[in-house]
Amino acid sequence: MTNTSHEVAKGPHHESGAAPSALSAHSIVKRFPGVLANDSVDFDVLPGEVHTLLGENGAGKSTLAAMLCGLYQPDSGYITRNGERIALSSPRAGLQHGIAMVHQHFRLVERFTVAENVILGSRDLSFRLNRSELEDRVCAVAESYGLPIEPGATVGDLSVGQRQRVEIVKALYQGAEILLLDEPTAVLVPAEVEKLFENVHAMTQAGKSIVFISHKLGEVVEISDRVTVLRNGRVTGHVSGRGTTDTKELARLMVGRDIELSTQRASHATGHEVLQIRDLSLNVGGVSVLSDISFNVHAGEMVGIAGVAGNGQRELADTIAGLISPTSGSVAITGSMSTDRGPIHARELGLAYVPEDRLGMGLVPSMSILDNLLLTRDRRIVVDRTSVQPEAVRLIDQFEIKANGPEHIARKLSGGNAQKVLLARELSGGRSATKLLVVCSPTRGLDVGAIETVRALLDDARSAGQAILLISEDLDEVMSLSDRILVLYRGSIVHETPGESAQLATVGAAMAGLSTEGNA
Amino acid sequence: MNENIWVLASADSVAIATTLILAALGALFTERSGVLNLGIEGILLTAAISSFLAADASGSIWLGLLIGSLAGALLAGIHALLSVVLRANQIVAGLALVIFGTGLANFLGKPVEGKTVTTIIHPLSFGALTDIPFVGPIVFGQDIITYASIAIAILSSLYLFRSRPGLELRATGDDPATVDSQGLSVASIRIRYTLFGGLLVGLGGSWLMLAQSAAWHQASTTNGIGWIALALVVFAGWRPLRLIFGAVLFGFTLQLPFTLQAEQITFVPSALMQMLPYLATLVALIALSRPSTRNKLGAPKALGTPFVRDER
Amino acid sequence: MRSPIRIVFEQRNETPKYLSTLVPLISVIAALVAGALFLLATGYSPIDTYSNMLSDGFTSSRGITDTLGLSTVLICTGISAAFAFQMNLYNIGGEGQLYLGMIGGAWAGLALGDRLPSFVMIPTVLLLGSLAGAVWILIPAYVRSRLGTSEIVTTLLLTYVAASLVDHFVYSPGSFFVTKNSAFPQGRLVPDSASLTAFGDTSLYPTFFLVALLALVLYWVVKRTEYGYRIQVIADSPRAAHYAGINANRTTLSVMLISGALSGLGGAALIVGPFGRLDPGITLLGYGYAGIVIAALARNNFSAIIVSGILFAGLRSGGDKLQISTDTPIHIGVMLQGAILLFALGGEAFRRYHIHAVRAERTAQ
Repeated sequence: MTNTSHEVAKGPHHESGAAPSALSAHSIVKRFPGVLANDSVDFDVLPGEVHTLLGENGAGKSTLAAMLCGLYQPDSGYITRNGERIALSSPRAGLQHGIAMVHQHFRLVERFTVAENVILGSRDLSFRLNRSELEDRVCAVAESYGLPIEPGATVGDLSVGQRQRVEIVKALYQGAEILLLDEPTAVLVPAEVEKLFENVHAMTQAGKSIVFISHKLGEVVEISDRVTVLRNGRVTGHVSGRGTTDTKELARLMVGRDIELSTQRASHATGHEVLQIRDLSLNVGGVSVLSDISFNVHAGEMVGIAGVAGNGQRELADTIAGLISPTSGSVAITGSMSTDRGPIHARELGLAYVPEDRLGMGLVPSMSILDNLLLTRDRRIVVDRTSVQPEAVRLIDQFEIKANGPEHIARKLSGGNAQKVLLARELSGGRSATKLLVVCSPTRGLDVGAIETVRALLDDARSAGQAILLISEDLDEVMSLSDRILVLYRGSIVHETPGESAQLATVGAAMAGLSTEGNA
Repeated sequence: MNENIWVLASADSVAIATTLILAALGALFTERSGVLNLGIEGILLTAAISSFLAADASGSIWLGLLIGSLAGALLAGIHALLSVVLRANQIVAGLALVIFGTGLANFLGKPVEGKTVTTIIHPLSFGALTDIPFVGPIVFGQDIITYASIAIAILSSLYLFRSRPGLELRATGDDPATVDSQGLSVASIRIRYTLFGGLLVGLGGSWLMLAQSAAWHQASTTNGIGWIALALVVFAGWRPLRLIFGAVLFGFTLQLPFTLQAEQITFVPSALMQMLPYLATLVALIALSRPSTRNKLGAPKALGTPFVRDER
Repeated sequence: MRSPIRIVFEQRNETPKYLSTLVPLISVIAALVAGALFLLATGYSPIDTYSNMLSDGFTSSRGITDTLGLSTVLICTGISAAFAFQMNLYNIGGEGQLYLGMIGGAWAGLALGDRLPSFVMIPTVLLLGSLAGAVWILIPAYVRSRLGTSEIVTTLLLTYVAASLVDHFVYSPGSFFVTKNSAFPQGRLVPDSASLTAFGDTSLYPTFFLVALLALVLYWVVKRTEYGYRIQVIADSPRAAHYAGINANRTTLSVMLISGALSGLGGAALIVGPFGRLDPGITLLGYGYAGIVIAALARNNFSAIIVSGILFAGLRSGGDKLQISTDTPIHIGVMLQGAILLFALGGEAFRRYHIHAVRAERTAQ
């Protein structure tokens, strides 16, 4: 374990003599089949402090947080609250000790109202529910922290940022003194991130402790009092002080070596248009999901579509891939119309599609790699598996997929390897050679090694003359890879800018729906 | 007198609706917690024979009703064990329960095949009120369990939508992960309501035996009413008040063949009349599935899926 | 500090082979043991009951061929259920489709039997019976594939309608299916051309081999053909099917129709075989429901269905004879069927999960 010079005198635990930490983990060990998720980890947080757990995907930070709130139990080690040892056998025990977690995937009943969600599970309610009284109570809590909410609104109708606020109010209502926020900024637009940080500040002023779990360097540095970095289940360093930290150093602690954070862009764009979208609109159930979208992608060019999740990205990708028929407008691939002709026809024209949902949509979980390769190919009446065998072996080798051969079941592949199988299949062509690759959230949830590999593969494809449409919620990724950036907001393209000159502030504002000059 | 048939038919519809309401309410509570119990038909049969044997031996209908209800809860308990604790496929478990329950009921009923139970449930007497034309027999000519079933339905509606435990129940069927993260026990809630559901179904089966059939005939006592009850829950959008109306409607189709036969209306073959309730249910279900109506239904989102707390 | 014990369900990555055979075996034994206790409690002798059931079913040579004969139908309904189950389609109406198969087959035999020779007649009866079964599932299949209506309740409701249909065709005066002017309504026997002869004195008909062969053919179709590939994709992941341009609705429809036809075939096999006529007693035998239990126990494995079908036929055929040899109600057979399935479902948990107890909290060193 590296002992860096950045380790502060305070160390992992607050020294005795001062008030005990609000919550503290000692030598926590947690194992899952095949992986040591937490290896003797120490962590603590003080009242009124923001302490961030930083680490890449798979580093073990979510696991540690789960144990701090009672979702998991450690294999060994113990947890103390205000200096006293406690046993957290379930999330309920955590709540009783004033510890609450706001998960990345919200735990809200969509059909219920905000107030109903906030009070669900509360012990101090009478048998009969008095709607207006409940709503008043919920409002009171929310307002005391400056979190405006509408208690009577149905959660299903709320935006992501609003839902997150409901989750926070829920935790506060239930008396949480310590809040664990799991990747809270991943789903927010830059402006909403600012608002969140304001709310966090209000809470810490009131003496609450906040634990941020994140892999986003830039943001956490701004908000945190202390940062603990995890890598491969171990603590690699502690850093303290707001805004005084060198992000490069943090990155090194996260990954263990210097990583290239700069952009990779080498446009080989030719004039040849491989994808042409004209006035594409889609109405679903009376709601406009996509409206009047027009753009082109050229061979050798990577066009990135930025935007917060839920603004039409999935529908756009599915429509281009022929899975959805648009209400109006057209999609043309390599010069031929593919609208309303279905996914098989689109593939015959040279389309390849790596969807966001890798294992549920792009791959059939219970089938082998070989059978999954056949998924997008022409299969004869009696399926011929033997002729695909050598190609499968070759692709596994070429893409460095860690598997026991072509018979390896897709469900058992790691996230990174599943993604590689998908890319291998899509890039190697199916019904005809791949000319256009549509890829969604290609590196979400992957560890840094896999991220680098995937980005390199995309770069290679671009150099080889393929047209690539990158749709990702990860703004950093879009900005660092794309030759051209389009911003999708509420189903429309609201901003266009060349990759090199893109400004974070402008793009971020466009993602939030704030108008900018220079619309394409 | 001709108009009398329809009055009698309507009164009978309300009566037979009793079993439908109780069985459907039982299914509703179970399904609202997220558990699909298809074994209702088997539970009805077992409860029927249990209530028969108990009432016959003791001479007390109340004992009969009690034993029948408990038998229902017991079988439902098997389903709860399999579905909630052991995370079995709920559809197959329910079917197995039907087969087992049917066999069990017929086995226990063999010695009393064809026999009439010694005590049965009689309609309550409201005196002169029953003689009011049209409305009289329908509203005032029913027995206590029928009135109770309607009352239970109304109370259930209040419980489900106006009480704290009702909120927790609805949440469990929609989003068990959220309920779990709020510190409530999904398993405990599901087991509780599956048992309670079985109790209600058992009561419905007991009533069917002691008030309607009064004699045990192998395999014909319930005749698929359990499946109609299941369809009724969907039809009512998982809301207890709507159940009452749907039950009377389906009850009408169920008693129609008997009424027509009694009035000697023979132009429709009896076999075809027998098919009517099932065909009516089928048509209703299909009509409900049309996209325009589907969105208005409120099926519990987690219905039929075992809940596993997300352990990697 | 007290550390409470928790029971943990840990999902298995691999299921050890021995468990896959051990669990069903233990389920059967557990059910038999529970059944024995039940028989004792209700005043019957388990030893008498079981020995009669098993010996009649399995040990006499007459018994074995009767078993194989009965298993013909059970394998049909079993494959019917399994073929649909593999795509998560619950065709519970195999019982009703079986009745329609008998109706269709009997009609073909009675209407055409006098005019056509045997080698044309037999296939015609079988074909028309299968067709009738498919027609009976058509509406549930269609609304399932187009509207998503649950096929569980729709197929079941139609079973009750089918039972009424059988009643109607046997008991309504002047019916085509019934011997005219007879004191007791009785289904008419089909002509000889539509009848197969059993082997010797038994109830084993050539249809057994046809059905077993069909099971193997269908197995091959699912594993090796494009159609089977599509079925596997849709069964595991409808979204992946959509992604790959596979039309799930069409496949749903065809799978259900095939399933219906298979149950119908079972009914038709009864016409060319042991029954030879439309017999209202068929509604009391529950062959369709038995098929569902068989398919569930065999976990949709077609070769396992052949074996389970024979096993169940043995239990049944022995059970049916119980009526004569003891006074135990024959319904013990149906109860055991249900009990075996219940235990097997419970046993599944041990197959899928590694269940063990852990202490909730361990202290640090």
